[in-house]
Amino acid sequence: MGKVDVDLVYVSSMSDAALKKFMQKNAISLKVEEARKIVKLIGRNPTITELHIFNIQWSEHSSYKSSRPILKTLPTKAPNVILGPVEDSGIIELGMHKGEKYGIVMSHESHNHPSQVVPYEGAATGIGGIIRDILCMGSRILATADPLRFGNPNGKNKDHVKYVANEVINGIAGYSNAVGIPNIAGDIYFDDSFDDNCLVNVVCLGMVKEKDILHSYAPKNSEGYDIIVVGKPTDNSGFGGAAFASLILDEDTKESNKSAVQVPDPFLKNMIIRATYEVFREARKKKVKLGFKDMGAGGIMCASSELCADAGYGAEIDLDKVNVSMDIPSFIIACSETQERFTWISPKSFTKKILEIYNEKFDLGSVAENAKAVVVGKVTKKKDYLVRHKGKIVCNAAVDVITSGIRYERKAKKPKRNFSEPNIKERKSYNETFLKVLSHPNVASKAKCYNHYDKNVQGNSIIESGQADAGLIRVVGKYGVALSVDNNPRYGMIDPYLGAANATAEAMRNVAAVGAIPSALTDCLNFGNPEKPEQFYDFKEAVRGIKDAAEQISYFKTKNPVPIISGNVSFYNESSNGKAVAPSPVIACLGIMKDYSKAIDMKLKTSDSVLLMIGNRKDELGGSIYYDLHKELGKNVPGVDFDEHKGMIYGIIESIDQRLLLSCHDISDGGLATCLAEMMLGGSADGTIGMEINFNYPHLRDDKILFSESAGFVVELEKKNVEKVQKLFAKYQLIAHELGETSKSDSLKIINNGKKLVDIKINKMKEAWTTGFAKVLE
Amino acid sequence: MDKKNIAVVYFPGNNCEIETLEAVKAAGMNGKILRWNTQQDLRKFDGYVIPGGWAYEDRVRAGIIAAKDPVMNLIKEEAKKGKPVLGICNGAQVLIETGMVPNTQDKVEFALAPNINPFVKGYYNVWVNMKSSGKNAFTKLFSKNEVLYVPIAHGEGRFITKEKSLVEKLERNGQIAFKYCTGSGKIENKFPVNPNGSMCNIAALSNKEGNVMAMMPHPERAIWQRQFPGSKKEDNKTANLKIFESMKKYLKRK
Repeated sequence: MGKVDVDLVYVSSMSDAALKKFMQKNAISLKVEEARKIVKLIGRNPTITELHIFNIQWSEHSSYKSSRPILKTLPTKAPNVILGPVEDSGIIELGMHKGEKYGIVMSHESHNHPSQVVPYEGAATGIGGIIRDILCMGSRILATADPLRFGNPNGKNKDHVKYVANEVINGIAGYSNAVGIPNIAGDIYFDDSFDDNCLVNVVCLGMVKEKDILHSYAPKNSEGYDIIVVGKPTDNSGFGGAAFASLILDEDTKESNKSAVQVPDPFLKNMIIRATYEVFREARKKKVKLGFKDMGAGGIMCASSELCADAGYGAEIDLDKVNVSMDIPSFIIACSETQERFTWISPKSFTKKILEIYNEKFDLGSVAENAKAVVVGKVTKKKDYLVRHKGKIVCNAAVDVITSGIRYERKAKKPKRNFSEPNIKERKSYNETFLKVLSHPNVASKAKCYNHYDKNVQGNSIIESGQADAGLIRVVGKYGVALSVDNNPRYGMIDPYLGAANATAEAMRNVAAVGAIPSALTDCLNFGNPEKPEQFYDFKEAVRGIKDAAEQISYFKTKNPVPIISGNVSFYNESSNGKAVAPSPVIACLGIMKDYSKAIDMKLKTSDSVLLMIGNRKDELGGSIYYDLHKELGKNVPGVDFDEHKGMIYGIIESIDQRLLLSCHDISDGGLATCLAEMMLGGSADGTIGMEINFNYPHLRDDKILFSESAGFVVELEKKNVEKVQKLFAKYQLIAHELGETSKSDSLKIINNGKKLVDIKINKMKEAWTTGFAKVLE
Repeated sequence: MDKKNIAVVYFPGNNCEIETLEAVKAAGMNGKILRWNTQQDLRKFDGYVIPGGWAYEDRVRAGIIAAKDPVMNLIKEEAKKGKPVLGICNGAQVLIETGMVPNTQDKVEFALAPNINPFVKGYYNVWVNMKSSGKNAFTKLFSKNEVLYVPIAHGEGRFITKEKSLVEKLERNGQIAFKYCTGSGKIENKFPVNPNGSMCNIAALSNKEGNVMAMMPHPERAIWQRQFPGSKKEDNKTANLKIFESMKKYLKRK
C-alpha cells in the first residue's frame, strides 16, 4: 500500500449509485465493480489520479480485456518472425543485405470513433499515431496504407456520409503528405452499416536492421536511468481517448467527446522524426542501449509505466517537470494523449545528447511553442509507480498492478441469420449491367482519393496505389515490399467466418499478384459491442476465419503459417440504436520480393497476348456487387478453398519469378468482367488495348460467370509461354483456362458458348469506372 | 577531377531532402543536407538545391517564410556570382517568393497560386509530361522537344503574374524553362495536360541569367526507370536525371 499526499476517493464507502454518479461526473467509464476492484488491488482507496489511470488501463482499447483470450488462438510464430504482436509493432524478416539482417516493421491501427466525431483531425491523428508505433522500434518509416469504410452515400445519412468521407481523406492527406510518407495502398467500401460509425484504419511500414531494433521496455541494468519525454507540450487534448474509443458513439455525448480527439501537428512530427533518426545514429555509434516508446493512449502514465514494468522496474515521475501549454490538473498531465510525443529511457551519460539533438540541433521550440525534450523522472529498483505533482505524491501503486490490465470471459451466441439467394432474371446482353457494376462506388476507381495523397515521396515507390492489386516499394538493395489491405464488409454480414477468411486470402492474393511472397499479416478487428453475445460471436468467428486462412494458405512452399505480427481490436462500433457495423476484420498483408525488377502490375501490355484464368467461377454471389445492384445480399458468400488458394498463389508467384507473365489481376469485387475491364483500363484509366474473350464455360448462368466473386486471377502472357504456365499450375492440380486474347480493337468482347454477353468500348468503361466513386465525394 | 559540392538546404518542414540528395549524387556531384540553422558556411558550396515539402509549414503562404530566412539572403548573394540554384516544388515556391525568379526587376513578379483542377481540390499527385522550352543551367543536356515524364505533388503550383506582357518577355528570353505538354510534346492548355491551370503551361521558370530555376514537378523522384508507373522495373537512369547532370555540366564549364 503506497503512501500518497492528496485526498482519496472513498470508493469503498460510497453506495453504488453515488459511485456511479461520481465517476460519470469525472468522465470515468469504469464499472462500479471495477472501481471497487482497484481498492482491493492497491490496498486502499485510490486518488483521483489513480482512478483515471485505471480507467485508461482497463479500457477495452488499452487492455484488450474482452479480446485477449480469443486473439491468443492466432498464429503469431513462424521462422520469419523477428518480433510478434507484443510491442507497438511487429517485425518480419526481410533478408540479408551486405552481411546485415533487415526486418520490416509493420503496424495496423484504427481511429474510428475520433474520425466519426471530428473527421479531419481524427483521421490525421490516426496517421500520426501509427507513424509513432513504427518509429519507436528504431526504424525508418517507409509507407502507409488506409482501409476506409463509410456509410451509404445515397442513403438517409448521405450528406453526413459525404462530409465524413471527404474530411477523412483530407485529414489523411494533410498529415501524411506533410510528414512525407508515401501512401501505397488502401481500399474504400460504402455500406449502410457505417452510417453512424465510419471505420478509419491505417497500416504503416518501416525498416530496421535486426541489431538496431529498439524496444518499448527499459534496457537491462537501467536502474537510475532518466525518463525523457519529447515533443509537443502536454495539454488537455485527447484526454480520455482510450476510454472514448471503448464507448458507443451516441448523439448526446458526441459534442463533449470532441475534446477526446487529439490535435495533429504533422509539421512538428516531421521535425521530431528527423531528429529521432539522428538520436538513433548517435546511440548506435556510441553503442548506447535505450528504451523508446510512442505516447498514445494513456500518455505519460501509460508509456512510462509500461517501459519500466516490462523490464522489472518501477518509475518515479515528477509532473512539474513536464512541459505543459496550460495549467492542468495532475491526472490530465499524466494521462492526456497530446500528440507528437515519445518517451525515452536513457542512461544519464547520453541524456545530454538526446536533449541537445531535439532542443538545439533541431530546435523543436522554434517549430512549435514550448515543444522540447525534458527529463521527467527516473527508473527505480522499487517496483512502484510513483507520481508527484506540486511536491505531493498523487499516485503510488505497484507498477505491475497498473499495467496488468483486466480480463473478461465474454459470452458468445450465434445470432439467428436468415439469408437466401435471390431470383434475378437473366438478360440477353449485360452491357448495361456491367457499366453499373463498374461505376458502383465500391468498384470504381479511387483515383480521386489517392491522387490527393503523396504516393511517390521518398522516391522508393515502384508500384503506386491503384496500379495493381498491391503497392510495391523498394526497401534496400533489390528487395521490394508489397502491401495490400482487404475486407469486404458484405461477406461478413452473411458469414463472419468466411468474411474474415476471404479478407485474409484476398490480401495474400493481392501481394502475390505483383510477384511478392505473402510473408506477414496484420489485423484490425472492427466489431460491435463485445458485451452482447451475438456481436461477440461474430468477433470469435472472424478470428477463427483469419486463423484458418493464415495457417492453411501456408507460407510459400512450406507448412508454416503466414504469421500475424501485429493488430488492433476496435469494439463498440455501433450506432446509438444498437446496430453494429458489418463485421470488419480488416487484413493487411505484407509481401516480400527478392528482386523488384520482376514485379508486374495489372495493366495490359501488348495487343497480341493470351489471357488465362486461374480459379473456377462458382455460384458464389452472396455479398456481391451484382446482387447489391439488385438490392439483394444473397447467401452464397465465396468459399475459401485453402488448397486451391495455395496452388493459385504459389503458381502466380512462380510464374512471375520466372518472368512468364506480362500482367496479372486478382478477381474479386465485381467478378471476372470487372477484372478484365480493370486490366484494360489500367490504374490510371489510360489503357488502349482491347480484349476478345471467347470461351465455353459450362454449368453456370451467364450473369454468374461474369459477376461471381469467387477467388481467382487473370494473367496476360505471350503465346509462347502459355504451355509453360499451364504446366506450372497443373503441378497444383489447377487448370489455367484459356479465356481469349488481347486485341488492337478498342473494346471488350465477352462471348460464352457463342453468345455475346458483353461488347463495350473502352471509353464507355472508362467513363463509368472513373466517375462512379468521384461522384460520391461531390 | 574534383567533384562539385552541392548543398541541399533543409528548412523545417521540408520532406524531399533525401531523394534530392540522391539525385545530386546520381548525377555525379557531391551533396550534403544542410539544416537551416546550421553554423556551417553555405558559401563554400558550388551550388544549391532547395527541396520540396512544407518549409515553415507554409504558414501565411507557401514559401514566404523561408524566403525571408537569412539563409536565403546568403544564397541570393551566391546566385549573383553565377552559382546554380534549383528550387523544386516547395523550393520553387521559396525562390518565387524571394524574387530570384524570374528576376527581371528587383521584386516579386510571380506567384504560385492554388491549383485549378476540376477533379481534385487542393493537393494533387499524378504523373505529367513536360518539355524543356528554355535554355539554362538545368536544361543544357536536353534536345529540343524532349518530353519528360515526372510526378507533380502540390496544391499551389499555378504560375501566375498580373503582367501579361511579362510572360511574353519571359518566353522571348527563354526563361520559361519547362512547359506541361502531352505525351507527344503538344502544348495543350487544358486539364489534365496542364494539371494546375498554370499560365502558358509553365512548369518551371528561370531567371534571365539561367542559373536559378524554380520547378514545380519532382524530377528527383523519377531518376530511375523503376520509378515510372507501368514501365519495366529496371534501375536504368531516366532523362529526368539530365536536369541534375546539366547542373554539373554548367559547373564544370564555369
